[in-house]
Amino acid sequence: MTTEELEQLLAQQPIALLHRLARGRIQRHFRAGKRRLIEVLLRHSAENRAGFESDLMTLIGEQQARPVPPPQQAPAARKPKPSAPHRRPAHKPVEQDSHEPAITLSSWLEGLGVPPPQTFVPDAWQEDAIAKLRESDVVVSVPTGSGKTYVAVEAARRAIAENRTVIYTSPLKALSNTKYTEFSKIFGPDQVGILTGDRRDNGQAPLLIMTTEILRNLLYDAGGGEIDVRLDTLGLVILDESQYIADPERGVVWEETIIFCPSQARLLLLSASIGNPHDIAEWLTSIRPTPCHLIRHSTRTVPLRAGYLHPNGKLTPLFRTVGIPHGHPGHLHPEAKRLFLQYEDETLPSGRRR
Amino acid sequence: MPPSIHPVDLIIALRDKHLTPAIVFLTSRRACDEAMQAFDHSHILLPPPRQQAIATVLDKVIAQYPSIAEHPLIPTVQRIGVAAHHAGHLPSWKIAVEELMRHGCLDAVFATTTLAAGVDFPARTVIITQSSIRKSRDFMDLTIGEVQQIAGRAGRRGKDLVGFAIVTPSPYIDLHVLTKGFTGHPEAINSQFVISYPMVLNLLKAHPLDQIQPILAKSFAQFQLNQRAEVLERKLDDLRDQMEPFGPRVCTDWITEWQTFDQVRRQKSHRAPVRRYEPPEVSARFHFLTPGRVVGFGRSRGVVLRQYRSKGQKSPMITALRLGGGITESPASTVTEVSDRVLDCVDAPVYPWCTPESVEELLHHLEELPGRLPELPILIPKDDEPIPDAIVQTLGDFACPTCPSRSACQRDYPLASKLRQEQHRHVKSIQALRTSLWHRFQEKIDVLQQFGYLTPTARLTDDGEWARLIRIDHSLLITELLRADAFNGADPAMLAAVMSSIAHDDDRPGAFPRVSSGLGSLLGQVRKLAVSLSPHEDPPLLRADIAAVTERWIGDPMLTWIGLCKSTTMAEGDIYRLLARTLEFLSQLHTLKSTHPGLADTASRAIAALRRGVLEELP
Repeated sequence: MTTEELEQLLAQQPIALLHRLARGRIQRHFRAGKRRLIEVLLRHSAENRAGFESDLMTLIGEQQARPVPPPQQAPAARKPKPSAPHRRPAHKPVEQDSHEPAITLSSWLEGLGVPPPQTFVPDAWQEDAIAKLRESDVVVSVPTGSGKTYVAVEAARRAIAENRTVIYTSPLKALSNTKYTEFSKIFGPDQVGILTGDRRDNGQAPLLIMTTEILRNLLYDAGGGEIDVRLDTLGLVILDESQYIADPERGVVWEETIIFCPSQARLLLLSASIGNPHDIAEWLTSIRPTPCHLIRHSTRTVPLRAGYLHPNGKLTPLFRTVGIPHGHPGHLHPEAKRLFLQYEDETLPSGRRR
Repeated sequence: MPPSIHPVDLIIALRDKHLTPAIVFLTSRRACDEAMQAFDHSHILLPPPRQQAIATVLDKVIAQYPSIAEHPLIPTVQRIGVAAHHAGHLPSWKIAVEELMRHGCLDAVFATTTLAAGVDFPARTVIITQSSIRKSRDFMDLTIGEVQQIAGRAGRRGKDLVGFAIVTPSPYIDLHVLTKGFTGHPEAINSQFVISYPMVLNLLKAHPLDQIQPILAKSFAQFQLNQRAEVLERKLDDLRDQMEPFGPRVCTDWITEWQTFDQVRRQKSHRAPVRRYEPPEVSARFHFLTPGRVVGFGRSRGVVLRQYRSKGQKSPMITALRLGGGITESPASTVTEVSDRVLDCVDAPVYPWCTPESVEELLHHLEELPGRLPELPILIPKDDEPIPDAIVQTLGDFACPTCPSRSACQRDYPLASKLRQEQHRHVKSIQALRTSLWHRFQEKIDVLQQFGYLTPTARLTDDGEWARLIRIDHSLLITELLRADAFNGADPAMLAAVMSSIAHDDDRPGAFPRVSSGLGSLLGQVRKLAVSLSPHEDPPLLRADIAAVTERWIGDPMLTWIGLCKSTTMAEGDIYRLLARTLEFLSQLHTLKSTHPGLADTASRAIAALRRGVLEELP
């Protein structure tokens, strides 16, 4: 179907059908007159011509299947209260208008691929964290996958070079095991030890990996007078995934560990993005001998894009923009919104609407 | 249309758009397993070189962990390049999947959202199929932090230019939760400071009681409480400023003065007080003159229909149905005799105060009554003079009516008293915020003193000295079991079985081996003790079926891992975790070598018997 044919076909249809077609595709389509509506629909259909045409055909089919209303009723139907057309469907989320046209799938998928191999250059924040650790405790709160481990490794490497013990804790035993393998590869197997609830490997190594509970227990014993590990040479304590401090059952262990951590040791708290990292930093400043330094940022190293995959296999961007529109959850891609509304209509029991 | 996309279609779509490798987060373990089954007969095979690559990596992992050599998922992993990774799998299997992902061999991994934090490998794409997550038996919407944690797995540093988080709907998904999660700022985190018994014991071991409060003050919990207290203090300062114009007037505390004056003024009735005189016997009897009571009036007799004290009347009144059918109102003092007989009478709110049928019935009964009725013994209190209430203030005691600032006080009182109430409330909350942690600590001290782990001066007793080494959940139950000598003569299998039933906190149902009778009765004792301790510590589930699994594993050294898994419907990974946690509990018992040598020995034998096969493989 050419554009002219499509335009003619649209012009032949009643305005109600055009409005139904526009629903979910075009903002505020109720305000438009017929000619304007056709114009906007045509412009919009350029993105996804096939989908638009098939929707149009099903609507026309439905229209023809329905008995034609007697003509004398038409003027009566034209008389609804003037406010009626402005009413939005109840389940449609209110959203701010964004005037740029929504992106297309191909531009959303653009840039997918493998970057050319390049030598690893640490980010500025990573350098900063390592440098700051020289004079104070450091709290790092960055998005998942930004390279917190690099900071941990470099900090540990430096402390080991200064003949100090490093303790690295993680919340899960499985993570401890993964890190043990990883660090053994980096530092050599004789430099890394692991302590878990029932096992002790290479406990004299300068870099010790353990769960946070084990460290807390060591600190208890040190407080009670029985020194278990060389806490006096302890130079650095790295608490990975320290957002666990908010865990309802185990969070207290992180607090105890931080409270009882020897003052000569530096603390490095690595955490995923949290809402109030400055609170943690302020707290550390208030209880530790040196003021604590906060490193935070929220941009991801590898940019993220959000998409929507319909159960029929159709993929569309989730938002109108290529990246994530931070702070604007309503900027949905019209196609994704239309498909999702359709999904809800089909799957929700008829009595239940959101 | 299907309620959610078919796994095979999903993989085809992802491959088509070059969005692999992907992690697909699904609601449950079962959903992951079903997704894997969906590939059984599909023909979307990997090209042979990639199959070869998978085989090479798998061989390497199997050489290290032989237990996964026979894993039922291996054929699917090899053919299609997809795998499942959830808590129901052995850690070694999870390591294998992670290793395959790290080498880029797989196209997709199906994982549970619950374990999002434990999924420590990135991919190009994550697929999100749900907006809520099961947290302790309840489905909760994902928080912004959780959505970002999940989406954070998308995009491998150095291997991808961009990462993709793709939402695909399944029933009950709420798109808004997810879009908010993608675009929002993560929530602030709050301290969850729980004071446990081992914490109290260990702190008191290292520090005298008077140093504890400063230590608690160093917690993040107190830091956040202080933050809240500071907000209140700022409000308090504001209030103080607002209270400025309401300072001392003629009297220093005019607000209280006016308040009392106002109250007294309101209480004083405007009429002259009605003085009632009731002889003590009348007021004593009056309580018994209830509907249906047969009473005598001089010579005649009647039934009480109601009693009342009307405002106009000076004395208490009754309405009675007299012999002969008359209904009379008379003062209670006219009653000469209160009999020990009550007739059935159905009350009604209007005249004649009971239903017409019961009037008939009452009359009938009244006529049938014998001439002499037993009298109700009523104790009449001595007639004592009421003490003139000297404390009650009269209006004459106040200076307010003639005070020069009376009009100002009257005008300002409502606002000033509201402000002052708010002030008091804030002062109280600030005090509570500053001291709540310390009070919670003291509560625990009280319990420990009651059980004899602490002396009255909060030093550790001999029992406290060893009890502080038990630093696991349900520590009070375990230490009390040791003091009750419950494990005397228990073999390693029994000890480990009880420990595992204490350690296990999952109520997933399933089929399990039978429990031996000795263990059954021991668990009965433990349960009784746990219930008696429940005011001080939440009792564990103490599932006998879970204990039986551990008992079999330790009791029968020839039992293979496969054999153990076949005896129960519990998932492999759950059995592994149960035994690993039991090991942890047992090794805590093992630390009591010096005070409980027998027990420590049993524990170390149990540890040795437990650690074989799969449990020996991992560090």
